[in-house]
Amino acid sequence: MTQLTSLLKKKIISFLKKKRIIEIFSSLVAIGIWEFVADFIVKNEFILPSFSTVATAFFDLLSSGIMVMDVLTSLLHLTIGLTIATCVGILVGAITGWFRVADRVADPIIEILRPIPPLAWIPFAIVWLHLTHYAAGFIVFVGAVFPILVNTYAGFRNVPKILVDSAEVLGCTKRHDLIKAVAFPSALPFITTGIRIGTGVGWMCVVAAEMFGVSKSGLGYRIFQKFYSFHQMDNLLVYMIILGLIALFLDSFFRFYIEERLLKWRKETVA
Amino acid sequence: MLIVTVTALVIAAVSFLVPKNQSLTHLRIGYQPSTHQIAHMTAMEKEWWRESLAKFGINEVSDYEFPSGPPEMQAMLAGDLDIAYVGATPPITAIYEGLDAKIVAGVQIQGSHLVLRLEVDYTGPDDLRGLKVATFPPGSIQDTVLRKWLIDNGLDPENDLEIVAMGAGEAISAITAGAVDGVFLPHPSPVVIELEGSGRMVVGSGEMWLNHTCCCLVVSGRLIREYPDVVEQIIRIHINATKYNKDHPDEAAEIYARKVGWEVETVQYSLDTWDGYWVSDPRIGLNVTLEYAQVIYDLNKTRYDRVLTEEELFDTSFYDSIIEKET
Repeated sequence: MTQLTSLLKKKIISFLKKKRIIEIFSSLVAIGIWEFVADFIVKNEFILPSFSTVATAFFDLLSSGIMVMDVLTSLLHLTIGLTIATCVGILVGAITGWFRVADRVADPIIEILRPIPPLAWIPFAIVWLHLTHYAAGFIVFVGAVFPILVNTYAGFRNVPKILVDSAEVLGCTKRHDLIKAVAFPSALPFITTGIRIGTGVGWMCVVAAEMFGVSKSGLGYRIFQKFYSFHQMDNLLVYMIILGLIALFLDSFFRFYIEERLLKWRKETVA
Repeated sequence: MLIVTVTALVIAAVSFLVPKNQSLTHLRIGYQPSTHQIAHMTAMEKEWWRESLAKFGINEVSDYEFPSGPPEMQAMLAGDLDIAYVGATPPITAIYEGLDAKIVAGVQIQGSHLVLRLEVDYTGPDDLRGLKVATFPPGSIQDTVLRKWLIDNGLDPENDLEIVAMGAGEAISAITAGAVDGVFLPHPSPVVIELEGSGRMVVGSGEMWLNHTCCCLVVSGRLIREYPDVVEQIIRIHINATKYNKDHPDEAAEIYARKVGWEVETVQYSLDTWDGYWVSDPRIGLNVTLEYAQVIYDLNKTRYDRVLTEEELFDTSFYDSIIEKET
């Protein structure tokens, strides 16, 4: 009897895990609480639009066609900023992480620039890049570059000495060979983590990047120039959820595709 | 334990979200740092708000500065403001979305300028073809006035030129950097651009749309229903402050300069060159405001089922009562 109960318990847990029942159940409960609180306690669609109102707004916006255009424009801004941030972040992070002199030269500049919020760069984005997609990309770049740079730096600084010594014993003595064959692969987990964090931060910056007339579409543009101006809180909430879902998708892509495929060799880790 | 914690958090959050009804001892005023709204600044500096409302039990008056109308109305929708000096279109959009408030007095008419970069030749509206002009977002007074003027002059705002939406600060940066060819902004921003040498004022908004409404005084529905005496006194203070500013424009410029930290000469130059004028009668801008309500409806046809009426937007009874008592 005890064995049967134990077996049943195991089967139920396995079923719940496989079919993501727990995640679905918790989401449904959250939606239920949201609907109840909005409809019966707050009773003010401006302060808290209900789930059903937001769902209706979602389908209205989807059928109007603007939502797809807005998502694509925002992804364009993210791509511009993230591509440049990845190139610059990896390059500068690798150089400063590997060469001590370069680290001492760049460190004060990086540490002064790093805490400046991306929003503070908006006037310079307008002045330097005018009202173009590149200006929006620049704001994303400012947000994304430092997590990538700092993680790459950490990756190169933490290359195990034993790997370098072994490579040198095996004849890998040239600097660029050491970087290519030892340091870069060793730092790759740090770099991918940096890109993952940078993507999240960059995506947060997209909303701010579209506030100042760089385009006539985009999730941030629509939120600030339309929904906020017209106090359309249900539409605003739809776009906030879309921002969250896209961020979740991008993060999942990194976690399950890049980290599991690209870093397959890293099997002997805790997580 | 987890359930108890979650329940407590939900209750705390909900109690924070649900607006509370409190007696009126603290008047909260919203305004923007614009020369259009000096009436409020004069009443504040001279302590007319505090002194004249004390007899109604109001022992504290606070003013809150907003960069533009939408966040100001957002604050009013959230119940954080009792009265607001604001452009006429933000309250319309807010009332469409359920704001319990009415326009009770006028504040100012006209007062914006089209500014073009120095190298752009301008002899008439046709010269704007192919240019990029920055202004406030769709639904704002500036966007509405500019688009109407372009259409009146045979230009298609969507195809003949590019209108880009942004705030005043970004627009000033954009014209200075040459990112746009012109801007259409309320005063004093046009003067800032002209004095910096980045552009010149070419058309006043009164030339675009004669006597178009700009700012107004909005009072919450709660005050109108529960504290009509206070509302009447608020409007009386506003009327007096407006009259005082008209009679003492130099002092009005000084009050504004002190409030926002500007040079007095710059403010005086703005008041000398603008085509705006301060008012208090809500009827002066009433018809134009109703036209704005139509424009905002046209922009959101799929969302709104009707155009707001005069009764839904205005309450002129307080102003009328004050004038009647005075005459």
